[in-house]
Amino acid sequence: MAGFAELHALSNFTFLRGASHPEELVETAAKLGYEALAITDECSLSGIVRAHVTAKDCGLKKLIIGSEFRLDSGLKLVALAQSRAGYAALCGVITRGRRAAEKGSYKLTADDFADGLPGCLLLWIPGRQLTLLPEDVWILERFHKRLWIAVELLADGLQRQRLERLRVLGDTLELPLVASGDVHMHCRERRAIQDTVTAIREGVTLDQAGFALYPNGERYLRSLATLQTVYAADLLHESRAIASRIDFSLDEIRYEYPHELVPDGETPTSYLRYLTEIGMRRRWPEGVSEKVLALVEHELKLIRELEYEFFFLTVHDIVAFARSQHILCQGRGSAANSAVCFCLGITEVDPARMATLVERFISKERNEPPDIDVDFEHERREEVIQYIYKKYGRERAALAATVVTYRPRSALRDVGKALSLSGLQIDKLARSMQWWDGKEVDDSRVIEAGLDPQSPVIRRLLYLVRQLMGFPRHLSQHVGGFVISNGPLSDLVPVENATMKDRTVIQWEKNDLQDLGLLKVDVLGLGMLTAIRRSFDLIKDFDGRDFTLASVPAEDPQTYDMICDGDTMGVFQIESRAQMAMLPRLKPRCYYDLVIEVAIIRPGPIQGDMVHPYLRRRNGEEAVVYPSEEIREVLQRTLGVPIFQEQVMQIAVVAAGFTPGEADQLRRAMAAWKRRGGLEPFEEKLISGMRERGYDESFAKQIFKQILGFGEYGFPESHSASFALLVYVSCWLKCHTPAAFTCALLNSQPMGFYSASQLTQDLRRHGVEVRAATVNHSSWDSSLEKSDNNQAVLRLGLRQIKGLSENAGRRIADERLAGPFRSIQQLLERSGINRREMNALAAAGALKTIAGHRHKARWAVAGVEEPTPLFTSMDSVEVTPMLRRPTEGQNIVADYKSLDLTLERHPLALLREYLDGYGYVQAADLKKIPTGRHVHVAGLVITKQRPGTASGVTFVTLEDESGFINLIVWKKTADEQRDALLNARLMGVDGELQIEGKVVHVIARKLHDHSALLGELQVRQRNFR
Amino acid sequence: MLPANKPPATAGGSPTPPVKGQQSLSLELPVVKTAPATIASGATPVTRLWLCIHLPALPLEALHRDSGDIARAVFDDQDGIPKVLLASDAAIAAGIRPGFSVNAALALLPALELEQRDSQCERRTLLSLAGWAEQFTSFVVIEVPDILLLELAGSVRLFDGLQKLRQAVSRGLGEQGFSASLAIAPTPLAATWLTKAGRRICIQDAANLTSALSALPLTCLDWPLPVCESLYGMGISRVGDCLRLPRQGFAKRFGVSRLLQLDRALGRLPDPRDSYRTPEYFVADHELDEELSNSDLILNVCQLLLQKLEHFLLTRQLAVQRIQFSFFHLQHPATSLPLGCVQADRAVDHWLDLLRIHFERLPLPAAAIAIRLRADQGQPMSAATDVLQFTKKDRQRRNLSIAHLIERLGARIGIESVHGVSTVAEHRPHYAWRPELMLDRLPQCEALSADFAKVRRPLWLLSKAQPLAVRDGKPFYQGVLVLEDGPERLETGWWDEDGIARDYFVAANPKGARFWIYRNRSKDRDWYLHGMFG
Repeated sequence: MAGFAELHALSNFTFLRGASHPEELVETAAKLGYEALAITDECSLSGIVRAHVTAKDCGLKKLIIGSEFRLDSGLKLVALAQSRAGYAALCGVITRGRRAAEKGSYKLTADDFADGLPGCLLLWIPGRQLTLLPEDVWILERFHKRLWIAVELLADGLQRQRLERLRVLGDTLELPLVASGDVHMHCRERRAIQDTVTAIREGVTLDQAGFALYPNGERYLRSLATLQTVYAADLLHESRAIASRIDFSLDEIRYEYPHELVPDGETPTSYLRYLTEIGMRRRWPEGVSEKVLALVEHELKLIRELEYEFFFLTVHDIVAFARSQHILCQGRGSAANSAVCFCLGITEVDPARMATLVERFISKERNEPPDIDVDFEHERREEVIQYIYKKYGRERAALAATVVTYRPRSALRDVGKALSLSGLQIDKLARSMQWWDGKEVDDSRVIEAGLDPQSPVIRRLLYLVRQLMGFPRHLSQHVGGFVISNGPLSDLVPVENATMKDRTVIQWEKNDLQDLGLLKVDVLGLGMLTAIRRSFDLIKDFDGRDFTLASVPAEDPQTYDMICDGDTMGVFQIESRAQMAMLPRLKPRCYYDLVIEVAIIRPGPIQGDMVHPYLRRRNGEEAVVYPSEEIREVLQRTLGVPIFQEQVMQIAVVAAGFTPGEADQLRRAMAAWKRRGGLEPFEEKLISGMRERGYDESFAKQIFKQILGFGEYGFPESHSASFALLVYVSCWLKCHTPAAFTCALLNSQPMGFYSASQLTQDLRRHGVEVRAATVNHSSWDSSLEKSDNNQAVLRLGLRQIKGLSENAGRRIADERLAGPFRSIQQLLERSGINRREMNALAAAGALKTIAGHRHKARWAVAGVEEPTPLFTSMDSVEVTPMLRRPTEGQNIVADYKSLDLTLERHPLALLREYLDGYGYVQAADLKKIPTGRHVHVAGLVITKQRPGTASGVTFVTLEDESGFINLIVWKKTADEQRDALLNARLMGVDGELQIEGKVVHVIARKLHDHSALLGELQVRQRNFR
Repeated sequence: MLPANKPPATAGGSPTPPVKGQQSLSLELPVVKTAPATIASGATPVTRLWLCIHLPALPLEALHRDSGDIARAVFDDQDGIPKVLLASDAAIAAGIRPGFSVNAALALLPALELEQRDSQCERRTLLSLAGWAEQFTSFVVIEVPDILLLELAGSVRLFDGLQKLRQAVSRGLGEQGFSASLAIAPTPLAATWLTKAGRRICIQDAANLTSALSALPLTCLDWPLPVCESLYGMGISRVGDCLRLPRQGFAKRFGVSRLLQLDRALGRLPDPRDSYRTPEYFVADHELDEELSNSDLILNVCQLLLQKLEHFLLTRQLAVQRIQFSFFHLQHPATSLPLGCVQADRAVDHWLDLLRIHFERLPLPAAAIAIRLRADQGQPMSAATDVLQFTKKDRQRRNLSIAHLIERLGARIGIESVHGVSTVAEHRPHYAWRPELMLDRLPQCEALSADFAKVRRPLWLLSKAQPLAVRDGKPFYQGVLVLEDGPERLETGWWDEDGIARDYFVAANPKGARFWIYRNRSKDRDWYLHGMFG
């Protein structure tokens, strides 16, 4: 039987055309015994790395890399990379086409093929008409001896005539013919999906799609037997002949780091050593300990053996730039917490603090590519990105892509539309299926949405949605993953435009880069770094103390006392309600405790049921036992409970006999299993491996459960270690310089869990004075003032005022340097702000010193005339009416409306008398009541959170004048009292008090909506999932 | 639009006017009361009384008048997000609030029946209510979207007092299923504001206006949000607070127009309004002096009526597409004859032609005593029907003549029997064409051919494929069939209940006839005849 090579196949990376994953195409081609398969997505190589990896796994004889193009003249070509040079030419033409058009499309003309794509073989895919324009002929002539006519016989009824005409055409043009299949799917069962994505692409329903649909499902990978009935032997043979001329695989791709990082006369190794030694002297000016010296030597040796010098040099260069611009940064990731990185300034975590950590992160055996993400101040990350573009040029630096795939909701929406369901029906279904994991659909959910689960339409819908999920939908840009190369990137991988102006992305995503061993540097933005840098600046201005991340006093007991109290509002990471509730139980007393704290309150450990065992062991309520000595080695630092991603991997190696490579595969599979499944073989291997080595079955199952939990949210120790530093520094700042820290937080909003209102209330409860924003005292940013006894006082900035532009705010502050404003007219003339902004100032009470109370100020501002060029001052005299002084309540309402916070009494203080009538207890008094009692509480609803891990529990936080009340609303209560839960702004609750140590909760039984009492008061609420 | 046969004002339905003037009974609510305060010039004051009807639930009630027990809501796009505009009582009880996004509402109540707001329908409802309200007064003002103003001063006596009149309006609205709030005041603005504030009161004396309006919150004024916010910011939340402000300062800050509005509401300035009028449509009756059964004579009368219609339409620059003749008989119910044409027209001759054709076949049960012609509401005259058209392009002339041909053909064999054919972009052969009613659309002759060129299709497609016998494994139809071309594989249509999976072939029998046959790709693998080539 003659073999066959399919040379024209599209995967679903030709978005909304292809109907099979590249992996499926490759596996099927291998199974069918094809000589070769070309993946030829339309002007894209996005799916090619997946195909490459799968081809190796499943033993496909040859994977050919190609791409389909439709030129603006209508000419359709398939180009196949014959060699490395051909591959570069292919990447080049894709890049040209993509860069010339808007994101998501491409544009190619005859000129783009003027060089004839050297190193590529080409197929011409004739259309129905078989006519050629002169410029098409010109292009085809560029491909002399490298061009074939593709004969694609797809049972359209005219195949005999078509073949005859193509033979004649081939003779006339002296072009050989070859069989190919215009493959869009790996099996014909995908026909429905192919039709559906076509309808989605055309933006019509299937009913309306008409001739946009293919008449049949022939565009699949046909069996060799079928092919022989369709094609003459010579056409099939030609496909093998073409395949045999191709000799290129992605394995040939060699990535080179940018060379300019190493000065002449130095080698990468010597230069890295040089930089490290400079850094060492900077870090330890009084001399380096033997221990550190040995560590650095050891790491440098490891780096040299793994040839990672360039990677460290690249990251160092970026970080050095940031430091030169006073941009705070902090590296994290497997390689980041090394002594070398500390010397290079990539991390601020002193290896002395993490005595045992380093060795765990860089490991020769695991052969992982080094991974360093660097967080920068979020407001200044762009400067770093622009530096990279400038230094390496746009052709050598680009962002990695993120493949956005269909999720249940988006799939439901698109398929529903194609099946002519109404928008409302789709909404109802999407709503009732938000929990859906794509496997089982409960009929009752469908009924609840008002649809019949047995109806054929719904069955079709669910079938298609299940298929479509995980299909790539479009390319987006990775948040900050940069790829930088020595030569033009477009020799390596196609580059296309991103949505953001002046951003380019490569067509591969993070996993693809890893698979090919390309290195990327993550340049990320982090709000807390901004806040910390601002705190440092404020402290320096206030009392001259100059801090850096590394110089904040380490292991300060007062700071840990504060943390143990759960008094952590506003700090990094451990400020969420769940974290706050955990702190008094976990009682962190040292740096490594924080590392654990950061990692433990996450979906992974929670789903794996790791939190409580760890707590019990830490509190000495449960014995710490290890199933074996190897496990003790891995788990000792976390008391026998696996908490970090790395530990799970290590257990797979030491306890289940995984090779380091297999463990790494497991790690990758974990990240993808939610999308595509595929963990089953690992489960089998892990559990049997552990059983063979004498481990308890239940322990093995628990480890696997933990792996599943890590899937989407796994948190590695290497990241936790870096984050813990920022946790510690932010806590230290909150503990010792609360005014500066809160001020910095306010100036970095929006960030974190808490609003400006809560942050300022918290500060005032800690005894710091907060002063109002006014035009005669405030700058744009909030700032620090000195009180009479030299204490720091927070002065709110004009930035707090809604409706005031930054420009206007800064002009006011600048102009005030020349002296305070005396009147509204003066303010107007000197600052040149407009009436709308004046009004915003009046509404915020910021004109108090010059125009009296709010009502007066509003009247006055509404009457001012904006200066005209001719008449600069128009101080007209007019009658001022008697306006009532605002009541405290009115002031509070106005404060919330325009500042999101008030410095008056808490709104509930005004209502207290009334609330007392109901028997509502204040938050601060709850601690005095014995646990288990029935209590009544009331407060403003400030957050509602319904985490996916908590089986339907809603966590509500209420706020009254004395503090917070943490509510737990069970699902049943929530369902029965949805109205109050959803709509109450002021909520009253009858419930049961639960006190465990310092943690106070109220289990809600009955909810009351008292919002009417608030009148017009609007308090910003934050709702999380 | 309005229901065509609006009862005349005097016909049944409206309350009977009081037989004798019961002046003493209306003492409680005297209608005309001289208000000395307003007499400034000494001229006789025209005291008006405005009843305002506010229909706050109109978006819901225009669609459903029975929403009490059903959880229902109307939504509307606000800033691109569909949000609940109005919810029924049952929906409110379930926690739905206006302003919820549709998603949030569904989260709360998955069974909620949601409908998009239909402003057109609200308008129609309001219009028809205006027509209904004309039974109470001849002066009805429509304030889109949800307000009617009835000037009642002249009707009070007719309805036996203002109180009863108000009750009659209120009851009538209730019976039709509308929830409305009503208030009465001497100025239309005051009545409107009172209604919007939910004050169901009746102020007859202009002197009481200031105190009544002063207590109203600003929200009932429909002033733009920024204006209200600005006023709130000055501690001003009621109309009375506004009235206390210096006029100059108020006008400078909030505009002269708002000051004048206050004046109009208080009756210090006139506030003229336009009354709503029932839209015009054409009805003409011709009573015959004697019973007529002679066709020619009847047609002569019809011609007269058509001339009236033409004149009516000409003066309004309108044309109509459908008209209806009614022939009244002494002993029998009336016979009606509707006529329609492809393009709106007003020419007497055109309609007369059509009438003749139809009238020939119309069995009149008895002689006619009267003839009525009524026409649809007119539509703007389209240029295409103009006679000058014949000097323009040929194709248009042909289309026009096709149009007339269709009308004549339709007049003889019934317009439902005249069809055109158009192609449909669809792979399934039996769905690839569709018949088209000719009255609705002129055939697009040029469109017919294009899409067929791509594939080979027989001109004669059997309406139902016919199973073929198989002999020696070969399909048989008037001889053994030889497959010439194919297969053309059609697998499609899975998304409805009529998916196909077939291999089509062009086949010839020994006599040389060509057929379009197919074989099912399902298990049975049966052969069918589907069409014949010419």
